[in-house]
Amino acid sequence: MGVSVQRILVGYLISLVFGIGLGLLVGRFKFLDETVGSLMVGLQVLPSICWLPLAILWFGLSEAAIQFVVIMGALLSIAIATDSGVKNIAPLYLRAARTMGISGIDLYTRVVLPAALPSVASGMKLGWSFAWRSLMAGELLFVSVGLGHLLQTGRELNDMAQVVAVMIVIVCVGLFFDQLVFARLERHLRRLWGTA
Amino acid sequence: MNLSIQKVMKEFETRQGKLLALQETSLEIESGEFLCFVGPSGCGKTTLLNLVAGLETPSRGEIRSNGQKITGPGSDRVVIFQEAALFPWLNVIQNVEFGLVGRMGAGRRRDIARTFLNLVHLGRFETSYVHELSGGMKSRVALARALALNPSILLMDEPFAALDAQTRDLLHEELQEIWQRTRQTILFVTHNVREAVRLGNRVLVFTARPGSIKKEFRIELPRPRDINSAGVLSYAQQIQRELREEIEKVLKEEVDREWTLKKADFLRPAGIDLGSGI
Repeated sequence: MGVSVQRILVGYLISLVFGIGLGLLVGRFKFLDETVGSLMVGLQVLPSICWLPLAILWFGLSEAAIQFVVIMGALLSIAIATDSGVKNIAPLYLRAARTMGISGIDLYTRVVLPAALPSVASGMKLGWSFAWRSLMAGELLFVSVGLGHLLQTGRELNDMAQVVAVMIVIVCVGLFFDQLVFARLERHLRRLWGTA
Repeated sequence: MNLSIQKVMKEFETRQGKLLALQETSLEIESGEFLCFVGPSGCGKTTLLNLVAGLETPSRGEIRSNGQKITGPGSDRVVIFQEAALFPWLNVIQNVEFGLVGRMGAGRRRDIARTFLNLVHLGRFETSYVHELSGGMKSRVALARALALNPSILLMDEPFAALDAQTRDLLHEELQEIWQRTRQTILFVTHNVREAVRLGNRVLVFTARPGSIKKEFRIELPRPRDINSAGVLSYAQQIQRELREEIEKVLKEEVDREWTLKKADFLRPAGIDLGSGI
């Protein structure tokens, strides 16, 4: 279980950083929006398991392949949510900030990102569930250690108890993180914004 | 900080072609003046405010403050918007100190923010969130936020329009009080003529679109002014007369070419009777 959790944490954090970055860029630059933006939405539709054969061809049967699949699962949903969040910011906030002398990077970190945060948060939640699914699918199919693998060996050994037990663990881990991180974030945002 | 608006004209590109929002306008504003703009909808008064703020650039002409040309927004010319525009992800005190972040240490910043929050009588609501405030309170926080930056020019775009009459009255008094202490240059856009007369040194009446300055009134009344006093009323009536013509023009355009503002017509219903059934 530790291995699975570690894999997803690493993969998810990478997705978070690059996803938000990508979303901010696409939201800001019209050129990027028209090219990369539509590509993002298209690629997002692709089930993340479909990235596995490509990952194996590129990275071989290694950790990197699994990470790649996890990242592809999460990154695009986070990016799309961020992009949508950025585009839907009330222009009034930006104008108010500009008359107070805020500009450039400052404007992004202090106004754009916080204003887009509710949208980004829902993207994060979605990205997490995609990442978890991609990880399980990947582990099920080919990897040697981890929860998905345990599931597979349970099946091979006809051990129903193991299969069900692992499924329960998977659900519990997912719920645990949801409560620990995402539910808290949502509650916090709701308190600040009034509804969000 | 004195302001020099020199032959400024503003055109917008719209889907229907070029829209002339503001005709060539020139205006000199002295430091410490309280200037009010009144005019019908679409007359360019907000556009002029945005040009001074640097949120828009003039299509022709230039604006200089203390001799320096204005090229963009800056904290020396802060705008207070009609919708207050407070940031919902920050609490009240964080909003007030927003403009000061990065310029000084956290302690001093917090002290200054508190001073201004107390100035608008909201000291108790330091840690409240924006959605917990009423409309009047939001306007006051917006005022505190702007004042905390100590701008040379305060630009107010119908800041009290969305408030009820009592709150507005209270805020007029607070604003007058604050202005008499700080003596900043204030540009105040409003539809409310009596508000303009109560607050301003000068009231400028704008024509209908494309807008330009129609007439200027110097309000020579002692302060503090009561909105119901004879002096205010008399000025207000004069200004209202000028404004009426312009409003009629706007209505003709929007409603119907034959429309005119008939004198008190709306007070006489069709089924009028003198009470005895006659």
